[in-house]
Amino acid sequence: MIRILPAILLVALLAITTLVGLSGSGGGNPDVIKIVSSLPRTGSAKSQTDTIVNGILIALEEADHRVGDFRIVYGDWDDATAGAGQWTAEAETANANRAVQDPDVMAYLGTYNSGASKISMPILNRAHLLMVSPAATWPGLTKPDMGDPGEPEIYRPTGEINFLRLVPTDDLQGPRGAAWAKEMGVKRVYVLDDNEVYGKGIANLFIDACQDLGIEVLGHESIDVKAQEFKPLMAMIKSLDPDMIYFGGTTQTKGGQIAKDMVAAGLDARLMVPDACFENAFIDSAGAENVNDRVFVTFGGLPPEELTGPGKRFVENYRRRFGRDPEGYAIYGYEAAKAALEAIRLAGIKDRDAIRKAAIGIKNFDQGAVGTWSFDKNGDSTLGTISGIRVHNGKFEFVKVLSE
Amino acid sequence: MTPALLLAQTADIDAWQAFWQYALIGLTNGALIALVALGYTMVYGIIELINFAHGDVFMLGAFLALTLIGAMGLEQAGAVQLWLGIGLLFVVVPLFCAVLNVTIDRAVYKPLRNAPKLAPLVSAIGVSFVLMNVGLLWHGAADKHFPDLVSRQNLLGENAAIEFSYKDLLVIGMTVPIMIALTGFVKGTRLGKAMRATAQDPVAATLMGINADRVIAVTFAIGGALAGAASVIYGLYINTVGYQMGFTNGLYAFTAAVLGGIGNIPGAVLGGLVIGLARSFGSAYVGERWTSALVFVILIAILIFRPNGLLGARTREKV
Amino acid sequence: MNKRQPAPRSLTAQLDRLPQWPLYLGILLLYPLLVYPEKVLFQWTEISVGMQLTYIFIYAILALGLNVVVGYTGILHLGIAAFFGIGAYITGILTVPAYPFGIGFVGSLICASLGAALAGLLLGAPTLRLRGDYVAIVTLGFGEVTRFSLRNLEEITAGMRGLNPIPPPTLPAFLATPLSWLGIQNDWALDYRLFYYLALGLLLVVILLLRNLERSRLGRAWVAIREDELAATCMGINAARVKLSAFALGCGLAGMAGCLYATALTSTAGPDAFDFSRSVIMLCCVILGGLGSLRGTLLGVLLLIGFDNVAAPALDGFLQRANINPDDNPWLTFSNWKLMCFGLALILMMRFRPEGLLPSRQVEAELHSEAQLHREGASI
Repeated sequence: MIRILPAILLVALLAITTLVGLSGSGGGNPDVIKIVSSLPRTGSAKSQTDTIVNGILIALEEADHRVGDFRIVYGDWDDATAGAGQWTAEAETANANRAVQDPDVMAYLGTYNSGASKISMPILNRAHLLMVSPAATWPGLTKPDMGDPGEPEIYRPTGEINFLRLVPTDDLQGPRGAAWAKEMGVKRVYVLDDNEVYGKGIANLFIDACQDLGIEVLGHESIDVKAQEFKPLMAMIKSLDPDMIYFGGTTQTKGGQIAKDMVAAGLDARLMVPDACFENAFIDSAGAENVNDRVFVTFGGLPPEELTGPGKRFVENYRRRFGRDPEGYAIYGYEAAKAALEAIRLAGIKDRDAIRKAAIGIKNFDQGAVGTWSFDKNGDSTLGTISGIRVHNGKFEFVKVLSE
Repeated sequence: MTPALLLAQTADIDAWQAFWQYALIGLTNGALIALVALGYTMVYGIIELINFAHGDVFMLGAFLALTLIGAMGLEQAGAVQLWLGIGLLFVVVPLFCAVLNVTIDRAVYKPLRNAPKLAPLVSAIGVSFVLMNVGLLWHGAADKHFPDLVSRQNLLGENAAIEFSYKDLLVIGMTVPIMIALTGFVKGTRLGKAMRATAQDPVAATLMGINADRVIAVTFAIGGALAGAASVIYGLYINTVGYQMGFTNGLYAFTAAVLGGIGNIPGAVLGGLVIGLARSFGSAYVGERWTSALVFVILIAILIFRPNGLLGARTREKV
Repeated sequence: MNKRQPAPRSLTAQLDRLPQWPLYLGILLLYPLLVYPEKVLFQWTEISVGMQLTYIFIYAILALGLNVVVGYTGILHLGIAAFFGIGAYITGILTVPAYPFGIGFVGSLICASLGAALAGLLLGAPTLRLRGDYVAIVTLGFGEVTRFSLRNLEEITAGMRGLNPIPPPTLPAFLATPLSWLGIQNDWALDYRLFYYLALGLLLVVILLLRNLERSRLGRAWVAIREDELAATCMGINAARVKLSAFALGCGLAGMAGCLYATALTSTAGPDAFDFSRSVIMLCCVILGGLGSLRGTLLGVLLLIGFDNVAAPALDGFLQRANINPDDNPWLTFSNWKLMCFGLALILMMRFRPEGLLPSRQVEAELHSEAQLHREGASI
């Protein structure tokens, strides 16, 4: 056996790559613009990122993969690994660097987790690369004084804004949800969250609003998302006799199981959940009979059936392509891709900084699926519409727009 | 009696009722964990393999049950068909899991019998990944609702303070006989004797004319069947299945098996019950967010004071 | 012992007799300096191989730490990720601006290593006397308790958000100038090569340390305990202390890796980065490479972490660019098969190399004599 063979091969590889590099090639293709997404495509969040990617695909197909003279290529990148079964920081770093180093990449759609955004934001910021997140909601990523000390400047080493998001941050949904609960006549509420950045943030803001509105908060508890059931917790909550339970969390962090175990414990309180549960998977995993007429959802933007114009077209396309109504995250994914395409159209040239600036300058955009919006000075969308939705007959049903 | 005292007393009664409610939930969940743990502990007892894939066999069993329920249209069926259908599930799913488990053993673990002790552990982790991927392709990434086939009606009366439904009865009513039967099998039959002998000393057992391969195959079959039965009960009781459910269940089953004393059948049952109760009381009295940590703190504490688990024999490690 | 063979003539046989590590080390040292290989490999795979190698070095330190516990001493450790996490969080607390300490990289590296080693001592002292598999479950439990504590103690650890930003190390001036001659900028965020060399350097220090320990009195005592604790005790080895030393050293190395990891990422990432799956994967690296073998552990890390961080995304990217799946059929999407590939790779590698890819000589010898015994036994 030739033990030295691998080493020889490696040396050969070094030599070949050096020669190839010296002979000089590369640079991008001037007619091609690449949009990539960096989302956890393996493991527990997969079902939700599937819907985000579906939304992105629809946006690209509607544009026929073209903007002006540019052909748009899409890369569906995974920031999770098989070994970890969830997003990993090094995969997210790798994706960010991959985007920076690939001269064709002009927009980066991601991330799903706010923690991952914290890692890739500074890397992309140095490259002036546009980043549009369909799902990261931690307020500190964009808003000064709402997150940890130093945020969001620490994510912007160049001082410019490159991170934009269309998903409403937690400070909109929590308070409007609380106001809606008050309208329904809720007096006593128990708050649960999934101990993740998104769920906990939204639950805390819901509690603040409840205290302002005079709704009694009976307790606040975080669940373990890997637990199988919550029957003892529900039995405990039942003894407190709340009118409503608020769960800050997603379908994948056991939203369905909470709804189910509430019923199993004989709790007849209502359940309110945020936009991450606005998907059929939530009803599927909870069982329609457990959520009908007792579950209420808040969602940023208008739900599919209320949309007109371009939004309606999107819903039809989505139904035709995937055979179901678009999920909450599909809509955000679609909108993020739309924003990126619009920025490329406005810029008109293949230049990262120009596209980034064009994106920030988007005003009164109404070609998407959530309504008319612009980007504010922090990079958040100005979209203020929050819909109130309930589950009825195994389907989501629009109730009303929750006004401020 | 003053009103205040009366109030204090009712509060007291309420607190006790709540306590028994938590205990009941804990015992039911514990019985379920114990059923999975039995398969773990039996395999461990015989070939000293921490079978990380066991939880995923359990998961595939639940997926098969879900598919069968859809195929048989059990959700719309009348009472008689419903019970026949559920009965069928308890035959088909354990059979499937038994065959699957034996196949895995034959294909993956058997060639590694003479390998270093930890080699099959890595294979088991590999099998776990493969089975998870099969689950992902079978029912998708999202959690699925497992139809509520068993009535949730309270057996103690509509307005009783403690909930004890047909579902709880199903869990206890299925797991207790299975455990008794298993204990009887291992204690009473020739094959059970052969299993115990092989667990104690495989070489000596072989010399006594015991076919070790056959004993191992039977162990995997029984372990798989238990996982299959547990998966149906789990589906009917917890009502949610997903491709990653094997991981948590496997983890708790493993913990239960060790807590009770590895390789010890009553021990695994006791371990499962302790974990179920710890989880239940933990979420009621300590706080849901600390519940899982509490389980492991209890585990470590118990092992420090009882180094061979709750019921483990004080034996020296085999050398 | 075999008699000494006559000197082989052929060139390949002669080459085979040369020590190999200088060659590999040379390749690793030169790779970033040549610049072009990194660029060309990036064009081919879209993965920054140099940056991923940095993480592989860090995981190699973690795996070598685990190898001390599992490989040398034979204690099944299922919670190494907890100590990795403790190292990362100590680093976070000691360096992020939200805390008043700000002691910088070198101080936090030392504190993280010592802190994790101390945690290992505290856990090991009462539990290492347990039988093998009970220790395994205790370490697993400790790992879960640690993860939940990191999650729930939000006031200290910032919960799921993680602690950030962790500042990069400061490069001493006497190094900055020569490095700039080599074309390496003094900016840790822009040039991956600074971290590359830092991680590689620390890895080399760890390897040297372990090579020396392997042949020391203590190292031999570890192996003796693995082979037969009873016999080792009879030979006058204090089993409890020897085991505890291995455990603390392994955990300390894990803490050191954790510090590097967090510093490289500028964030502690979040408690779930240090969960049970990470422990399991590291264990797979060690067993797959060959228990108790330094070379084997390094190869195991290279293969498994390399699969996850380089091969899988590169293959995924290649398949997407080849556009073989224009309709996005889920059955043809790579991410739907990732777990299967990983699992099959584990199964197959163990099937054909049950003693590990590069087993230590002792284990190999032992297995072969055992197999021989079996054969002889069968023929009787």
